[in-house]
Amino acid sequence: MDLIVSAAAQIATPLTMLAIIVGTVVGVIVGVLPGLGSVIGLTMVLPFTFSMPQIPAIALMLGVYCGSVYGGSITAIILNTPGTPQSAATALEGFPMARRGEADLAIGWVTTASTIGGLFSVLVFVITGPSLAAFSLQFTPIEYFALGLFAMTCIAGVSSGNLVKGLVAGALGLLLATIGNDPVTGDLRFTFDSFQLSAGIGLIPVIVGLFAFSEMFLRVLQIDRPGPEASEMRVGFRMPPWKDWRPRIGMLLRGSLIGSFVGALPGTGAATSAFIAYSEARRASKRKDNFGHGEPDGLVACESANNAVTGSALVPTLALGIPGDPVTAVMLGALVVQGIAPGPQLFANHLDLIYAIFLCLILVNIVMFLTGALGASLFTRVLRIPEPILVGLILIIATVGAYGVNGNVFDVWVAFAAGVAGVVLRYFRFPVAPIVIGMVLEPTIEMSLRQGLILTHGNFWGFFERPIASLLFAITLMTLCWPLVRMGIAQLRNRAATEYQEDGWVDGDASEVAAVALLLASEDRASRLEAKSASTTL
Amino acid sequence: MRFRKETAGRLGIALSASVMMIAGNATAQSNRPVTVVVPFAAGGGTDITTRAMQESLSDTLKANVAVKNTAGAGGTIGVGEVARARADGTTLGMAPVGPLTTQPHLRKLPYDVDSFDYICLAYSAPTVIAVRQDSDFSNLEDLVAYAKENPGELTFAVQAIGSIPHIAGLALADAAGIEMTFLPVNGDGPALKSLLDGTADIFIPHVSFYTSNSDQLKSLALLKDGRLAEQPDLVTAEEQGYALDFPIWGGLVAPAGLDDADISKFETACKAAIDSGPFQERMQALKQPSAYMGAADFEAFVREKYDTNRKLLEKAGLLAN
Repeated sequence: MDLIVSAAAQIATPLTMLAIIVGTVVGVIVGVLPGLGSVIGLTMVLPFTFSMPQIPAIALMLGVYCGSVYGGSITAIILNTPGTPQSAATALEGFPMARRGEADLAIGWVTTASTIGGLFSVLVFVITGPSLAAFSLQFTPIEYFALGLFAMTCIAGVSSGNLVKGLVAGALGLLLATIGNDPVTGDLRFTFDSFQLSAGIGLIPVIVGLFAFSEMFLRVLQIDRPGPEASEMRVGFRMPPWKDWRPRIGMLLRGSLIGSFVGALPGTGAATSAFIAYSEARRASKRKDNFGHGEPDGLVACESANNAVTGSALVPTLALGIPGDPVTAVMLGALVVQGIAPGPQLFANHLDLIYAIFLCLILVNIVMFLTGALGASLFTRVLRIPEPILVGLILIIATVGAYGVNGNVFDVWVAFAAGVAGVVLRYFRFPVAPIVIGMVLEPTIEMSLRQGLILTHGNFWGFFERPIASLLFAITLMTLCWPLVRMGIAQLRNRAATEYQEDGWVDGDASEVAAVALLLASEDRASRLEAKSASTTL
Repeated sequence: MRFRKETAGRLGIALSASVMMIAGNATAQSNRPVTVVVPFAAGGGTDITTRAMQESLSDTLKANVAVKNTAGAGGTIGVGEVARARADGTTLGMAPVGPLTTQPHLRKLPYDVDSFDYICLAYSAPTVIAVRQDSDFSNLEDLVAYAKENPGELTFAVQAIGSIPHIAGLALADAAGIEMTFLPVNGDGPALKSLLDGTADIFIPHVSFYTSNSDQLKSLALLKDGRLAEQPDLVTAEEQGYALDFPIWGGLVAPAGLDDADISKFETACKAAIDSGPFQERMQALKQPSAYMGAADFEAFVREKYDTNRKLLEKAGLLAN
């Protein structure tokens, strides 16, 4: 308790408070702008942290980190162009809602869900810290492969309408991600002797292209966008009423748990957690049919999940010194410069610092909520900007964003090409979110599969000797088979009912045909056996 | 139409201001601005070292100095960008050992050792062979004995193919006559993870990474020709019978064809930056020894390493055709 009080005293300085507010606001802004994400935000403030005392420096980075993960959802809702990869799933429900003229309500949902998810993970961070870190070490490459495979099943969840097209898009994403260095041998793949391609195709330029550019191109081409009149768009921030919240508390908790779990595993991240939470929500929701048409369940699940990653991702970063993604890697680099040595002893001997981070995170989440609530009236006004001006602005910002990731002009061309491809894909009604899922997961799946095979000396059956991996494989199989099983159960019920009524075979659907075929085959076999035995006796 | 021009104007200003923020913190200086390309992402060792020099460089050169992170393909994209830049003294690069002396041998790149003018060596961190803190091995003898009894059972986590740690591991296996399983991972953090979760037994980080994680790691050998003044308790490999010396270093380079006057101007600025207070403080926080070489020495050093690393890679069969 004394430690919490002393930590509170440490952060109750004007500089720390200023750092929290500035950091969070900057974070939300870089999150909102397509292409500029958490890493660029942190890079921007990095030089400032070098000359700041320890606690304000940490506060500034935490603000940028949490704010940027949230900020991407605002653009996803308003413009169907997720500001960051973490918010790609948010666009699936948020944009349909905004097109109904309820952008203010959608922002209300995501802001609240993000804040609660964030606060949930702050508790996870401080309560379970070292033991969660120990748990994350149970995940070796083999478990990561199993988890990656499971996460691929999310493609089904985000391909509304056409699963085959979703799978094609997912495969496209996987293939795009294989361009460049082979992670194990270092050989170059699919680069066609292009030096620039040897660095691979970046995720962020592709997202900027697929979402921001293609959305703007479509608007210019006036294909398929009969949105409401600008004047009908509600601006501002509207808190969803409690009666709408109550049935969604479960979704909120589920999303927060998924986010906290995924965040604690180094090497996965907020984008993965959001997709898993979204497709899990879709599976479990009572309002399944409304998914894809602006269902708050989906918004609540994916936004609580991606923000719940923030707190728990700090656990392996601080307790083990293993940053989970480029974002936490930048933060860890800056912390080491501040003289903080990560490792188990940080939680054991420097609890004051841990509590200071804990309190900062709570404040950051509160400031994030206020930034969202107050900023929403500004952000949603974007919808009232005349289309030509808006399209021009977004194209400029998106171009800067694509360039800014690696400071490489080639990435702008990638984004442009992805934009054209996005127009074509959307015109033929291919969902684009599976491309993102494929690109996000390919490095994990490929690297962990090949590492796992090195560790088991090339024996894939060795993967099933690991309990956690086997469990994940089983869950993956169940997820894939669940719709079939459900169909089967429905049919059995149906059949029982019809048999009861008519005492006979009705409609020859697939399973019955199969059953009949099996029956015939066995009869055939029996008769042949008879014939055989007859012939031998003769 | 209820759209108000005023709102759009305000928004436009806000948006363009945000865009300009990433252009960096500019202060008026008389000379032409200089961009230092860092070929890795922000927050890494190379980036932090460069940013620690930024302010002093700017003061000495009386020019804006911007740090630009061009990451990708093991640092070759950023170093390639420097090689292609105009040699007018506005573009420099912080070129690390890998993209400069090992990557050109591994694949076809649009640059080689002759593509640059060399300004100074800015840092050089020795590497250590590290195992888990609770490992049964306490020196190289234990490690080699185990590897000889169980060929291929010892797993070595490699941060990047063809990197200095990889070459050092190959050299160790060669010198000790042992067989190891090489497990590629993506950088220092994942390598640490593979040790902690038990999938790998050893890896080779640079000394500052080792020091900041020293309560989870144990050093078996410092890969340097003598002990370290900052951490004299680290036993060298040489003392244990293996003459292995594999530092991770980097320095400032410019596209080939720079004026001699410009080279010596940058050389002076580099020396001043390395001697400056903030830089020394940063190195101390990272527990990294400071190093410096002038233009001529640095060039000779790079050329020598370029040739020796080629031989090591050739021996390991990693050379591009």
